[in-house]
Amino acid sequence: MEEASRIDEPNRNPNTDRSSNPNPLSSIISSAHVWPTIDGPLGLTEEASVDYARRFYKFGFALLPWLWAVNCFYFWPVLRHSRAFPQIRNYVVRSAIGFSVFTSLLLAWALTFSIGGEQLFGPVWDKLVMYNVADRLGLSGLA
Amino acid sequence: MDRNQQRPRSSILDALGEELIGILTPVSICMFTVVLLVCLLNSSSSSFSSIATAAYSETDSDSPWDKLLGAFLNSLVFVAAITVATFLLVLLFYLRCVTFLKLYMGFSALVVLANLGGEISILLIDRFRFPIDSLTFSILLFNFSVVGVFAVFMSRFSILITQGYLVVIGVLVAYFFTMLPEWTTWVLLVALALYDLAAVLLPVGPLRLLVEMAISRDEDIPALVYEARPVIRDDSRLVQRRVWREQRSNVNDDDVENNVVRSEEEEEQRSEEISVPLIDSSSSSSRPETFLEGIGLGASGAIKLGLGDFIFYSVLVGRAAMYDLMTVYACYLAIIAGLGVTLMLLSVYQKALPALPVSIMLGVVFYFLARLFLEVFVVQCSSNLVMF
Repeated sequence: MEEASRIDEPNRNPNTDRSSNPNPLSSIISSAHVWPTIDGPLGLTEEASVDYARRFYKFGFALLPWLWAVNCFYFWPVLRHSRAFPQIRNYVVRSAIGFSVFTSLLLAWALTFSIGGEQLFGPVWDKLVMYNVADRLGLSGLA
Repeated sequence: MDRNQQRPRSSILDALGEELIGILTPVSICMFTVVLLVCLLNSSSSSFSSIATAAYSETDSDSPWDKLLGAFLNSLVFVAAITVATFLLVLLFYLRCVTFLKLYMGFSALVVLANLGGEISILLIDRFRFPIDSLTFSILLFNFSVVGVFAVFMSRFSILITQGYLVVIGVLVAYFFTMLPEWTTWVLLVALALYDLAAVLLPVGPLRLLVEMAISRDEDIPALVYEARPVIRDDSRLVQRRVWREQRSNVNDDDVENNVVRSEEEEEQRSEEISVPLIDSSSSSSRPETFLEGIGLGASGAIKLGLGDFIFYSVLVGRAAMYDLMTVYACYLAIIAGLGVTLMLLSVYQKALPALPVSIMLGVVFYFLARLFLEVFVVQCSSNLVMF
């Protein structure tokens, strides 16, 4: 039964038939299959998922922790069923670690900045805070 | 609405309701967010220059007749620009320059998210004096925009995140459009409703050509289109991923850079999205089975609503919010009713329909009725303690 569903997937090319009816059997089969993405049957196949997970992981190094977070969110079933998809899980777990590390660093800096305020930083605070920077660069007016 | 009788399978109300909710929720969220922004930011005094004020800039001292005339001219210019841009899009789609269109869409999403998103965030930070520093802010903005571009650009991405980003883009563009002068806004909305009607229903209309080409080639229209998550029901036979056909390869562009005052900030908005009509994807269904299939809201069909529709509904409600919240309620109900009517017509006619006309017309009528008559009535009643 598993075989049938795996074979069926690559054939389900979304670019072609709009009005074809896959046999009713496949819908029953596919409901028993565990999908790697959070969208379930509407999401990616397993082969494509590995590719996506890897790409998201690599792109996340360009100062994009949110991309790592999205990666974890999108492949949430991979994190939940720990044995199902070893390759994808590798990237997703690393993305999760990367996201947590980056976020904690960023949060630490942002909190220090906002709570410390002038007392900690002195006059530099006024130069760094966003609304002043925006005023200086003329970004806060709209017209 | 009687649920007491036993139904062997899920009723049409359940099935239909879920589809409708799938499209009404993001529209409502978009409108709500724009109203919130309008109420928080109160920027009624800004003079916003864009293509929509190219012909005439409204000032307070003009007579009503002058304002009306100026508004007409502005709308004419804007609708003309949009027509030209849509025909350009049709031409490019006809010549199969899909990659270019996709790149352009990604680029415009980046501009909207980074530029407009950044400006609105700065306005909010300024308003609330939020002590965030520029480094954190730039990192957050960078993250937000780049992932947004991914969501729009890549054809297979998390449905929820893509929908979220499309709604955010709609909110940002709509907020900027609410800053147009008042008369121009109303006349523009009516003009766009008429344009939408013409462009989708006339045989020579650009949108109709676009839809027909897309259907004949079985591709998706290259534009920013919100697609509701397809509803998969237990008795459905179709667990298809047809919704992920090459969609969103482009936004119809309206990037006519015009005589703007501050060119680096007045990127004219991708309001071409307006033009994408309301489509029901399962229109070519030949399946006879259930009644639901027959009315075009079958399991694999997902309702698609162009982002421009989101934008202009929100502009209407945002502009109503600038007057009073009473008009907001009236316009919101009118727009939702109009959208419901449009969806019903969609299931009857089974082809692409313009989503703007009915809602905008109802919205405009209700705005003026509420403003001119309802408010007076309610205020008088309240102040005399008849109704409060």
